[in-house]
Amino acid sequence: MKETCGRIGRATFFVMAGVARLWKLGLVVGRFFLTSFVRPRIVPRESFFRQMVLMGIDSTAIVSLVGASVGMVLALQAAYSLKTFGAVMYTGSLVGVAMARELGPLIAAIVICGRIGARMAAEIGTMMVQEEVDALTTMAINPVRYLVLPRVMALAIMLPCLTVIADIMGMIGGYLIGITGLGINSYVYISKTVDALVLKDLYTGLVKSFIFSVLIALVSCHQGLSVSGGADAVGKATTQAVVISIVLIIVVDCLATAVIYYALPT
Amino acid sequence: MADPIIEIKELVKRFGDRTVLDGVNVVIPEGKITVIMGGSGCGKSTLLRHLIGLHQPTSGEVWVDGRDIAGLDEKGMNEVRKKFGMLFQGSALFNSMTVGENVAVPLKEHTDLSPEIIKIIVRVKLELVGLTGFEDFMPHEISGGMKKRVALARAIALDPKIVFYDEPGAGLDPITASMIDRLILDLSKKLSITSVVVTHEMKSAFRIADQIIILQKGKVLQVGNAEEIKNSRNAYVQQFIQGEPEGAIPFKQTSEAYLKGLLDT
Repeated sequence: MKETCGRIGRATFFVMAGVARLWKLGLVVGRFFLTSFVRPRIVPRESFFRQMVLMGIDSTAIVSLVGASVGMVLALQAAYSLKTFGAVMYTGSLVGVAMARELGPLIAAIVICGRIGARMAAEIGTMMVQEEVDALTTMAINPVRYLVLPRVMALAIMLPCLTVIADIMGMIGGYLIGITGLGINSYVYISKTVDALVLKDLYTGLVKSFIFSVLIALVSCHQGLSVSGGADAVGKATTQAVVISIVLIIVVDCLATAVIYYALPT
Repeated sequence: MADPIIEIKELVKRFGDRTVLDGVNVVIPEGKITVIMGGSGCGKSTLLRHLIGLHQPTSGEVWVDGRDIAGLDEKGMNEVRKKFGMLFQGSALFNSMTVGENVAVPLKEHTDLSPEIIKIIVRVKLELVGLTGFEDFMPHEISGGMKKRVALARAIALDPKIVFYDEPGAGLDPITASMIDRLILDLSKKLSITSVVVTHEMKSAFRIADQIIILQKGKVLQVGNAEEIKNSRNAYVQQFIQGEPEGAIPFKQTSEAYLKGLLDT
């Protein structure tokens, strides 16, 4: 009993300490972000644009592919159940709403987490090992400003964009299945989708994806910056970055949904 | 002797209950080459990390160019850091940037110069280390010795007063290592830079040093110029110079101590 309590206590402390460190890094990044309105020079521009290309444009194909696949699966599953009620023609509404509210942001975030989060953690981790971060510090360049700030900003811009792509691709995937496999009339499918979607569905999805983007970037950079030692530590940080990001994304998604749909006035 | 630019007073550093630096007093004169030597684990890298503000001392003072950097906040520290350059053991070049971009980083960050001017300065700095025309190479495309020289060009990009070298000859062949030594001498003379070199290579130290500081177990053992160190009567210093495994520093333990060490849990 005593041991179990001790273990739970230690685990709680560990998690809280991690959250506190993340919060601290977030505050530093936030401070630099606010300062950049007054002194735009503090944003390392080249790195910012390079990261945007890397995160956004280079991820378009994979996010589209995964988004379309999820849309198709959703259409197939929904139609199978809706058939019992004779409501197959509502497949379009269901796919549209599900993609915009929930699956678009989630799928884009998870794909990016694996693609970009791991990359950030490994890159910064290796820079730690090879003393590159120390080199930045001795050049009087703040590593958080130089490495973390452009990554957080780039992802905060790019992930919502990728989410829109995932939304649209999911709806197209569902549409293709709907008109070919399920035999729904093309006009009916589209009009049902448009009828069901409201603006709130879209912007709540985008707000969520913005929160996810900041989470992924902060967690991954934090893991990278806490590397000390060698290749082993870099590997561990990379795994941790992806696992922690995905867990946090899902927990925060749950909270955000509860707040947006139940706590806030509609 | 020239005025001191760095003064360390009673510097103590503990990591947990392990004391790495135990009351170090060092004076480094301006415009000279000072070599800090000692065996592995004697605290010389830790001492260097204090000088560049990567470690905070447990107690003691570190005066660099008229300011005590122990306990200085980040803003103040950055002001001091702009006055010095640092050459890391593994060069620490940014792998995602070309050689030219690497040298340009401090210039872009700390000056308002236009890209054209920065390009010219980068070329001048690379010229100084004998790497004209290598601007567009990536760090992985050049050899270890060249990387060291690029890192040196980056370290002197802002015309610092002091340059710190962490094991400049480590991992290089003897010819390249002596070429780096020549560069250190050249830069020190031409640009009247104060150089602080941390190394354990005797040959290189005797070649370049105006002043040698030998550390042992976190304490300063001896200070002097190359001749004084060579003729030192200290048994440890002699053992270090000769590079012999047996001597004042025991390599093997006595049989009783060995037995005791095994049986003590």
